[in-house]
Amino acid sequence: MLKINSLVTSYGSIKALKGIDLEVPAGSIVSLIGANGAGKTTAMKSLVGIIKPQSGTIVFQGQAIQGWPSHKVVGLGVSLVPEGRRILARMSVLENLEMGAYQRQDMEIQADMEKVFSRFPILAERRNQLGGTLSGGQQQMLAIGRALMARPKLLLLDEPSMGLAPLVVAEIFRVIQDINREGTTVLLVEQNVRQALKIAHYAYVLETGKIVLHGTAEEVAHNPRVMEAYLGGAKGMK
Amino acid sequence: MDFILNPYYLQIGMFIMINAILGVSIYLTLATGQLSLGNAGFMSIGAYTSALLTLKAGFPVYLAIPIGGFAAAAVSAVIGFPALRLKGLYLAIATLGFGEVVRVVFLNLKITNGALGLSGIPSLGILLGKALSSAGFDQGMGGLSVQQLSNVSVLLILLILVVFLVFFSLRLSRCRVGRAFAAIKTDETAAEAMGINTTYYKLLAFLLGAFIAGVAGALAAHITFYIGPKDFDYHRTVEILLFAVLGGSNLVWGPILGATLLTMLPEVLRAASDYRMMIYGAILVTMMAFRPQGLISEETLRFWKAKLGRRKEHDLNS
Repeated sequence: MLKINSLVTSYGSIKALKGIDLEVPAGSIVSLIGANGAGKTTAMKSLVGIIKPQSGTIVFQGQAIQGWPSHKVVGLGVSLVPEGRRILARMSVLENLEMGAYQRQDMEIQADMEKVFSRFPILAERRNQLGGTLSGGQQQMLAIGRALMARPKLLLLDEPSMGLAPLVVAEIFRVIQDINREGTTVLLVEQNVRQALKIAHYAYVLETGKIVLHGTAEEVAHNPRVMEAYLGGAKGMK
Repeated sequence: MDFILNPYYLQIGMFIMINAILGVSIYLTLATGQLSLGNAGFMSIGAYTSALLTLKAGFPVYLAIPIGGFAAAAVSAVIGFPALRLKGLYLAIATLGFGEVVRVVFLNLKITNGALGLSGIPSLGILLGKALSSAGFDQGMGGLSVQQLSNVSVLLILLILVVFLVFFSLRLSRCRVGRAFAAIKTDETAAEAMGINTTYYKLLAFLLGAFIAGVAGALAAHITFYIGPKDFDYHRTVEILLFAVLGGSNLVWGPILGATLLTMLPEVLRAASDYRMMIYGAILVTMMAFRPQGLISEETLRFWKAKLGRRKEHDLNS
């Protein structure tokens, strides 16, 4: 569904991505894991066109989209849940969700909104509350709900677990799995490696702008280097 | 009646209206979170275009004024594409520079008469007076002289324009375009991630602001009969920005209130003569310290709505 080939992105003279290759098969959950500064968020931003990549190709459903402006990428069916949630604090929950459907003109927006509300009942309860007054977990749900309102074929999640309590993280990951089961392909960027590998089908490990390891989530989870560096010792997974 | 309708008050009334229009122009660019300080430049483009068209090419005033607006919008489109890649303070500095460039160009062109400026610009008041006279009102109407009548009509026209612009801005904030503006203002990256074409909407806001500033400049030219490069210098830019700063820039009412207050303040403080600019400055510093969001914010509106609503309920119950 999505294929990235030797993607390079720089901030000025600093290369944040030094040519990464990545593939997301339709219907799967792919995790991109790595430490701070590895280039995970840069990869996400380059994907949706918030940052223009320097070279390399991004092919989504047979179409080369590298360098496209983000509104066109969203129009193709790629939605990003940005790092740090980035909900619109001065707009209500309802308005935030409406903004997510900004490019849509069809009649099913209302139905989709009800779907989001049934997925996240707490948002339905607080639909008229301002986005900025929600708790971190609720804001994350709102950010995911907002991205779903665009009816994405591919959902990009940038660190959905950031700053959230373990129980809430588990809840968010359960929802991500649900969304995937209902047919949306997911590319997940995470620092919470254990959780990310648990729900993913495939995984890529990013280190200082390079993919150092990839394979099925199972393989990556059992790789000694990953166990050492990210899962806390050799007994990490079991 | 004569006391209220003296030329001095009417003139101030007209300036308030012009400044309110300028307030709307900066409100529209600020609605996308862009701080543009080029509005005085756009205003001068509108003013000079309209003045020159009427003086040298014999265009009728009612046609020249909108053309002035379009000229300003056209220039803003040209500088908007590169300038809107800049954010925050960088955009402010770039647009400030643009305003100065425009001023210097007008200062050095032959056709604009350099530092002397253009005088004898056809005045709206006199034109309306002539029209009224030929319509059979040469003796005035209802105890008002023709001059008063024409000045009042100018004021009314300006008022209608301001009301229209407020209505337009209010409608805008509730429609698709306005929601996009608000989203970009709150968080540009989020807006981008939601699939909003931020470049398009930022340019649109920039163009709208320039157009309105251009129209305001053209109107000002046809009200004061004289324009010179000095009318559109850095001070004018700051003045326009202050409308939004004092009144608040989140709602269109803010810049309008700011324009009204800041136009009246120097007149009210006339008694303080030399000290008035100091008082003016002190008021602004106080504002920044105690109410940085401006006089009117969403909370203000909510507060008064709740208060008035409760009173109504109370009246009904009692």
